[in-house]
Amino acid sequence: MTVVSAFLIPGSPLPFVQRDNPPWGKIADALDTAGKALTASQPDTIIVYSTQWIAVLDQLWQTKPHLKDIHVDENWHEYGDLPFDIKIDTDLAEAAVVATNEAGIKSKGVNYDKFPIDTGTIIAANFLNPENKLPLVITANNVYHDWQMTEQLGRIAVAEAEKLHRKVAIVGVGGMSGSIYRQVINIADDKIASDEEDKWNRKILSLMEKGDVKTLLNECPKYASEAKVDMGFKHFAFILGAMGGDFSSATVHGYGPLYGSGAAVLEFQLG
Amino acid sequence: MSKGEIIAGFLAPHPPHLVYGENPEQNEAKSQGGWEQLRWAYERARASLEELKPDVLLVHSPHWITQQGHHFLGVEHLSGKSVDPIFPNLFRYNFELKVDVELAEACCAIGAEMGLTTKMMLNPNFRVDYGTITTLHMIRPQWDIPVVGISANNSPYYLTTEEGLEEMDILGKATRKAIEDSGRRAVLLASNTLCHYHFSEEPVPPEDMAQEHPQNYEGYLWDMRMIELLRQGKTGEVFELLPQFINEAFAEVKSGAFTWMFSAMQYPELAGELHGYGTVIGTGNAVMEWNLIKAGLAQAA
Ligand SMILES: [Fe+2]
Repeated sequence: MTVVSAFLIPGSPLPFVQRDNPPWGKIADALDTAGKALTASQPDTIIVYSTQWIAVLDQLWQTKPHLKDIHVDENWHEYGDLPFDIKIDTDLAEAAVVATNEAGIKSKGVNYDKFPIDTGTIIAANFLNPENKLPLVITANNVYHDWQMTEQLGRIAVAEAEKLHRKVAIVGVGGMSGSIYRQVINIADDKIASDEEDKWNRKILSLMEKGDVKTLLNECPKYASEAKVDMGFKHFAFILGAMGGDFSSATVHGYGPLYGSGAAVLEFQLG
Repeated sequence: MSKGEIIAGFLAPHPPHLVYGENPEQNEAKSQGGWEQLRWAYERARASLEELKPDVLLVHSPHWITQQGHHFLGVEHLSGKSVDPIFPNLFRYNFELKVDVELAEACCAIGAEMGLTTKMMLNPNFRVDYGTITTLHMIRPQWDIPVVGISANNSPYYLTTEEGLEEMDILGKATRKAIEDSGRRAVLLASNTLCHYHFSEEPVPPEDMAQEHPQNYEGYLWDMRMIELLRQGKTGEVFELLPQFINEAFAEVKSGAFTWMFSAMQYPELAGELHGYGTVIGTGNAVMEWNLIKAGLAQAA
């Protein structure tokens, strides 16, 4: 089997930069658990789709072999730096560029010194691959791509991995409900900003736990709009596509607020 | 200390293509030119800025997006290489800038007094966004005037356009008060494109001007209508039409810089000087100036 594990995680830096804040620490602990599960699944490569890497023209794939730098989040700069040290599975990334182009999704590799690596990708790398043992494939969220196209991207990435005999872990990085606190809060009291959105998140998580893909696919468009979900929940579309459109159940390692928005750490059990 | 004042405002859009077309030594990517109409527009704006002799340039950029409040660069020296995430093939620019921290702090404090959430950006490793850098390079490539960099709070997208722009209006008022208290002679830069419909593919080479034209005719008509009103000094009418313009032309002024600047200048019914208009990958860009000294609304140095 090509896909050996799959995860959905939040891309906010808050659990990483301030895990001693109890609500955020719970998410950080869940991310650690997900990281252990990922390692135990023994992938050759981790494929990461992050909502925060925004593309507009093409589908972008990182093709620089080694990314090592410090990033400072645009909004959460006061919490300090986000160091990263990421190796790229360039063979798989290059293959994905060719394959997505062949599928009619215009794609490009990016290989530039100081190309901005998004916070979500860095959070995924730092929690799930802390010692930088495994190479990554990183791809962008093109804002003009819809759910179907994003599922297709996940499918294509896995098909290429299979051709190269790679075992892969899939990581979709993005938030759940999107209402946030716009003002400064007492971070120890952080909670989901909207009760309605909290209900929606819980409903979706419970459908995932049951592996009820059919109902999920029905509910996701409504969930995305009513709960202001990060980028239309396309990170889940990518994961779903990568899993071949199905999974048997999911484990919620953590769920909670990140400055009012919903964050969940999920591990999917494959079909 | 004499009272500070805003001496001019510029609509100063930030397509990185303009830097790429100019081939300054700071930019790694090299071109055979391109987008001359807009670059010549900036040449005129540069000459005018030279005469204005401001103490400080304030720039509001849509590519520093913040969710919790309006942020201000607050580190005296910032440097690094800025790579545009959308056009990394065109823009890899080594920058070094000096921040007017005192004025930034005043803007931040007065904004908070006026009810906004505001924050200083104090992390020395911060990467300044490419919108800020492109606008600053195009208006003043010497980089010898201190800067106040202001983020675009996402309120016009998170809330309604109108609610978001109300916040930008308050931000403008706070900026004006801070400038007055500071004794500085300040120039404001609204880093915004007008119609933002764009092509989804780049020509080869990107500077092939045979491929450059408005992506959307309706959007182009909107741009001409708004520019004509601005040239006539019909500021009130422009702001009445603004939400409709934003909606129908997908205009980048939604992000707030244009409203911030006009609010800070107290929405003068003053004819703007069009330095030039051009499209970049199909989007509409105008370089325009409101010179408050020439209009008798501010004093010459
Ligand atoms: Fe822009």
